[in-house]
Amino acid sequence: MLGFLKGKAKGNFIYSPCKGDLMSLTEVPDPTFAEKMLGDGFAVIPSEGKIYAPSDGEITTVFETRHAICMTNTMGVELLIHVGLDTVTLKGEAFTVHVSEGDQVKKGDLLMDVDLEKIQAAGLHTVTPVIICNTDDFAHIDLQKEGSVTNEDEVLKIS
Amino acid sequence: MQQFSYVITDEIGIHARPAGMLVKVAKIFKSKITLNGKEKTADATKLMAVMSMGIKCGDTVEVSVEGEDETAAAAELETFFKENL
Repeated sequence: MLGFLKGKAKGNFIYSPCKGDLMSLTEVPDPTFAEKMLGDGFAVIPSEGKIYAPSDGEITTVFETRHAICMTNTMGVELLIHVGLDTVTLKGEAFTVHVSEGDQVKKGDLLMDVDLEKIQAAGLHTVTPVIICNTDDFAHIDLQKEGSVTNEDEVLKIS
Repeated sequence: MQQFSYVITDEIGIHARPAGMLVKVAKIFKSKITLNGKEKTADATKLMAVMSMGIKCGDTVEVSVEGEDETAAAAELETFFKENL
């Protein structure tokens, strides 16, 4: 790769939001995600409670219950990062968010600290879907990787 | 144009899942469906816009429906809100 591009995120790639293991969206044990009702995407089972920006862009929404963040990347991809399943019921417990609506972020910026043990103790799954809310706006959303990932890995290519 | 307003009774409001369901219903119809609430406006077929409204329990949502199938759409949406939100 050309040296001057190093560290610069490519707008048509979506990176993993955390360190962990990839899970196909269709295997996520929640039909809202598995049936792609919210859109296409991927999911990661986090091995560390740190959630990073998966692309460069602007934070559009921080859910009041802090379990999910929406951002729009530089290419107009609308991303929902939903930490854990049914974690809306935790009412903010377990989540420390470091960004606000309107913030400009770079890929790899820390968005949130998550207490994964607290999610598990509540009997909930920590798997974190990353959803393209405006899936219909793009012709191709291709998975680039499987298995274990870090937040440096490109997971989706969008065109 | 058809309009109705609804006060959210669901404890956690319009979070990801109900927003997805609402968008799915809105997309069935040809009419333009607009949500107003908490001084924000969203096209009901745009998932992120709907979620970004941050509608919670006790908030009022104004739903406006305009187009050729507006009567059917408004009726279907009103039922959806009552059953799910």
